Amino acid sequence: MSEYHRSGVIHDLGYHGYVGPREGTATIARTLFVTGLRHTYGLGRSGKSKVLPFVLLAMSVVPALIVVGVVVLTKLPTLPTSYPNYVNQTQLLISLFAAAQAPVLFSRDLRYRSIVLYLARPLSAPLFAMTRLLSLTAAILLFTAVPTTLLFLGALLAGLDVSDQVNGLLKALTLQILLAALLAGITGLISSISLRRGFAIVGSVMALIVVSGVVTSIQAIATTQDSDNLGVVAGLFSPWSIHNGLARAWDVDVAVLTPPEGAWPLAYSLVAMLVVAACVLGLVARFRKVGSR
Amino acid sequence: MPQRVGAASVRRVTGESTGLAPVIETAGLTKHYGSVHALTDLTVTVGHGVTGLVGANGAGKSTLIKILLGLLEPSKGQASVLGHDIELASTQIRQVVGYMPEHDCLPPDVSASDFVVHMARMSGLGASAARERAADVLRHVGLDEERYRPMGGYSTGMKQRAKLAQALVHDPRLVFLDEPTNGLDPAARNDMLRLIQRIGNDFGIAVLVTSHLLGELEQVSDHVVVLDGGHLLRSSATGDFLKQTGNLLVEVIGTTTERDALGEALAKAGLSCRPRGPMVAVDPPPPGVAAHDIIRDVAAELGLGLMRLQPDRGHLEDVFLDGGARV
Repeated sequence: MSEYHRSGVIHDLGYHGYVGPREGTATIARTLFVTGLRHTYGLGRSGKSKVLPFVLLAMSVVPALIVVGVVVLTKLPTLPTSYPNYVNQTQLLISLFAAAQAPVLFSRDLRYRSIVLYLARPLSAPLFAMTRLLSLTAAILLFTAVPTTLLFLGALLAGLDVSDQVNGLLKALTLQILLAALLAGITGLISSISLRRGFAIVGSVMALIVVSGVVTSIQAIATTQDSDNLGVVAGLFSPWSIHNGLARAWDVDVAVLTPPEGAWPLAYSLVAMLVVAACVLGLVARFRKVGSR
Repeated sequence: MPQRVGAASVRRVTGESTGLAPVIETAGLTKHYGSVHALTDLTVTVGHGVTGLVGANGAGKSTLIKILLGLLEPSKGQASVLGHDIELASTQIRQVVGYMPEHDCLPPDVSASDFVVHMARMSGLGASAARERAADVLRHVGLDEERYRPMGGYSTGMKQRAKLAQALVHDPRLVFLDEPTNGLDPAARNDMLRLIQRIGNDFGIAVLVTSHLLGELEQVSDHVVVLDGGHLLRSSATGDFLKQTGNLLVEVIGTTTERDALGEALAKAGLSCRPRGPMVAVDPPPPGVAAHDIIRDVAAELGLGLMRLQPDRGHLEDVFLDGGARV
């Protein structure tokens, strides 16, 4: 770098150059990841923006606390709900959290065109998109992992078998990582396309809550018609049915009308990963396009 | 069709005889969007100091900057910025350049202070360095108390300053300023131009500044690159554009009647001339003719009061008038 000597004279106007260290892309991406994660919970933003995420989080934690209280006081031999089943029961709250907070990370930069300022800096469009997606994934994972961890601590407190609980917790967290990536990818892509926050939330609610309802209805009809395979296929179309189906295939007690068997769990996993990959590609293309305008 | 600029003219363009490596070099840079030719075979070299990039709207100015930043891929040709190839070392380039886009790019619900700190960190500065630099740069661009207010309530002038601050916060070695005076009132425009001049000269940061207004770049830039419809029209030191044309401007006391009388008499005396505003513009006289003496004598004979007799200078606008002479 030394071949470019500054010819300018520094006057007492006080401009000082910066000679300190400049971090590489990995550190910059980490900073962006942490900032994004904080912003999804309204931290470092206005007081108003903290309300919704924390209200939703509290609503999903309260039932877990009640369950813990019941288990500890009544000395039940098992938790009344499996960890993945608890996630399934609170799916409305989790969907709302993802739908409401995805625009924070994926609409704002595009809508106000500050994406151009990011892309004129060291992070490339793919790295930027992936870092944003990781922030949202981590935020959703945190949202589901907090009540799960509370349930786990409660189970230990009640003296339930430790190895059973650790086993259940690890399975649950693995499934939650996949679920969080799916939810983040879908809501992120929707938010990056419909830049108005209201439309983005409505779109995400449609994709997560309405589609999930439709899938459940199809599965219910499939069981009454004795065509379970149709229900299994329908399960590929919602992150929730993928999460629940995989949990069931993994010997976890979750209410699933048409449990996937044989090679189907593999198909569920593959579809989940393909959807996440497609969302990443879609986001990169979207950021590139807006960034070059 | 424009010809590629030869090595000789490239050297003339480079770095104002400071002997420094060029800041930007392009060779045959071309960008086509379908049938729209945004840039055609652009070969140009930009040195240190302030370089003006001039052209009408749609001349390819922003396209050139976006290609140099790696935001757009060229259809053809190569370019390097600060010695880094744009295709191979785009990340390294973006570490050491700043960019102030033409359009609005500020989130309205964040304060300039927070935003500039965040942008400094996105350029790789540590947390405390980012805060220090942001405070420093915001002071330099002239955002004082306002910097703690959300940017949504800013005037256009304040927004332009905040945009400039984020482009400078990581102390780049080169900044691209895309239409920084757009939408500013005359006073704010002068402030911005002075600031640009200081960035190029006092801060020691090379500046490539675009404008569709030729007059303002005349004031601040050391060097001007003129684009027209994606083609390079001319690239040379600002002084070359403004150098004396050899014409003489003569003004006499009175109205257009006196002006015309003088013009006719000068023509009779063998000097070709034409009216220009209240003055008579005399073409460069043939060698051996003492034009000044002839003008004095003619004025004296007609009894006209000679008010002004000065050499004429060129203007950036002239480049467009003889637009056929493409480089």
